[in-house]
Amino acid sequence: MILAIAKREFVDAWRDGRFRLAALLVLALIGASALLARAQNERSRTEREAAARLERENWVNQGEKNSHSAGHYGIHVFKPAAALAPFDRGVEPFVGPVAFLEAHRMNQTAFLPARDGTAMRRFGDLSASLALQVLFPLIIVLLCHGTLAGERERGTLRQLLALGVTPRALVAGKAIGLFACTLLLLAPAAVALAWITADTPAQPGADITTRAVALAALYSGYSGLFVLLSVAASALARSARSALAALLGLWAFNCILAPRLASDLVHAALPATKLAEFDAAVNADLQMGLDGHDSRSEHMQEFTRRTLAEHGKSRIEELPFNFQGLAMLEGERFSSAVWQHHFGRLFDQFERQDRAVARAGIAAPLLAVRHASMAFAGTDLAEHRRFALAAERHRNEFVRVLNEDLMRNAPPGDHRYTAGRELWESLPEFRLAPSGFGDAWSTAREGALVLAGWLVAALALLLVVPARLRGADA
Amino acid sequence: MLEADQLTKRFGDRVALHPLQLKVEPGEIFALLGPNGAGKTTTINLFLGFLAPDGGDARVCGTSVKSDPVGARRKVAYIPELVALYPRFSGLENLDYFSRLGGRARPADELLALLERAGLPRDAATRRVATYSKGMRQKVGIALALATGAKALLLDEPTSGLDPAASHEFSRMLRRLAADGVAILMATHDLFRAREDASRIGILVAGRLVAQYSRAELRDQDLERLYLERLSA
Repeated sequence: MILAIAKREFVDAWRDGRFRLAALLVLALIGASALLARAQNERSRTEREAAARLERENWVNQGEKNSHSAGHYGIHVFKPAAALAPFDRGVEPFVGPVAFLEAHRMNQTAFLPARDGTAMRRFGDLSASLALQVLFPLIIVLLCHGTLAGERERGTLRQLLALGVTPRALVAGKAIGLFACTLLLLAPAAVALAWITADTPAQPGADITTRAVALAALYSGYSGLFVLLSVAASALARSARSALAALLGLWAFNCILAPRLASDLVHAALPATKLAEFDAAVNADLQMGLDGHDSRSEHMQEFTRRTLAEHGKSRIEELPFNFQGLAMLEGERFSSAVWQHHFGRLFDQFERQDRAVARAGIAAPLLAVRHASMAFAGTDLAEHRRFALAAERHRNEFVRVLNEDLMRNAPPGDHRYTAGRELWESLPEFRLAPSGFGDAWSTAREGALVLAGWLVAALALLLVVPARLRGADA
Repeated sequence: MLEADQLTKRFGDRVALHPLQLKVEPGEIFALLGPNGAGKTTTINLFLGFLAPDGGDARVCGTSVKSDPVGARRKVAYIPELVALYPRFSGLENLDYFSRLGGRARPADELLALLERAGLPRDAATRRVATYSKGMRQKVGIALALATGAKALLLDEPTSGLDPAASHEFSRMLRRLAADGVAILMATHDLFRAREDASRIGILVAGRLVAQYSRAELRDQDLERLYLERLSA
């Protein structure tokens, strides 16, 4: 009986011109966004690889210079483009894919697409994930709101019940049939995901296919949730129009109001350090330690005394190595700890905010889905932090190698020492190993569980609503 | 068989149906006459289990509606004033769907034959219902009653709004169903059809069955006069 109801619902929807129009709309939106984003991602990947090659070339060919000066010359490292970014760009437009690595300071990533774009860009930035998160629920609501209320208005509900059809079977059949329609509408997104996955150069350990399957499951669950809510509203409302009004209200809250509200509330409750405060705090802490360039500071004098005592010497020129190199190493060790501490705190604050917004998904499922989607696509804040940390580790290593070269190879007290191509070439290129599905899941779990909670609650609601379909007013 | 045993319904303080004692035997057509608000549809709703009785019980072919409403519904067919169908489906598809849900799935050729028996031509049966007249819809309702093989039939103003020819054809089908042993309870305002088709007629006024007449008792009587007398009594 349930399958017969589901089949009729599916066929009815298929014959409905609105459904076919919706299918075309979804196909056009998802198709266009996937194609454009794929092209954009490909362009971005090519640009980053070309820039990384050029950067390496410039580094290797920088000529002879003092190895610590080379540390100030610095290098740029590039975040590899996430394979699934064409599907969900996540935080990428707001965090920047380039980090400038130099001696003494850890820089924020730069070249934020959102900052570089024109004001018009925000209106044209459609991704498949945005279409699925915001527009797709609206399509589901428009297609499903009348499923039971319409039966009531048409009089078929009364006839079905008179045949001995149980309200529970009717509700279950409707939900299954409409979900099948929704899966059909989701097919372009699944094809886009499969295409993006198949078109991606092999990245061992990136678990692209598993991530794509997780995204498909996530959006199927999200769509299923809106089907369940639409069926429940349709059963509870007195008319299809009331059901539509209630569901549009829910959609507007979920997709328009809640993201803004959650963001504002979370920023108020868990404020992140402002840029000026951040710089002030870092500078204050840096003052408390050794600065390799400031030979007159108390810290330097103390470090000099200690080093000389350790080696039993009275002058730095007597030391068996270049003292300036050692001081740079020591200063870098301290400043790096300061930078990592402050950036770590900042990232912790951002992640707390991020988690809090995901938890606000309890009130609006979009927030939970958005969080999980970015994590599965590898474009979330956690992934950006992984890049920033990897860049910082690379900076530490790069500066350490340069300072050690200065310490070991520069004659004591000689400021004219220079290193050359051999040293520059010995520095490894920056590589960021792709994160696996386990890393993505550890971030996505929160959002995915909140969505699962919504699904359980919606299913429980569907167990209750059949009671509203029993009366003579059916 | 349809049976009401002291069947009572109240809406708040108002008694919609005073204890009703009624038995419609197989092969019998019982027409329930009465003005608007007399309790005719309430009686039908009680037989369908859409309303819970405040007293007594209704039984469909021996099954108590109160204790097993779904089981009772499985034994009865119901034709409302306007048979509601799915407009994007043909009459045949609607019949297939409803009979399947009624637990009597049949092959398409059998369903087409039933629709033809109910008076719906084959070419109309495969057309989308959106183009159907009310008469054609009622024929699908009759075909459904035939398809489910129900031994009891409830009708709520089934001929209201039908043109005389369609109404006549509908009555012919009803009489055929009764001849096949179906117990039929019909709520109607149509005195003419009641007199033509019913084996018994009951007059319901303010929730009370105030009179019952057999076809034989009505032979030389003016039903309209009797009806109006009962209303004004």
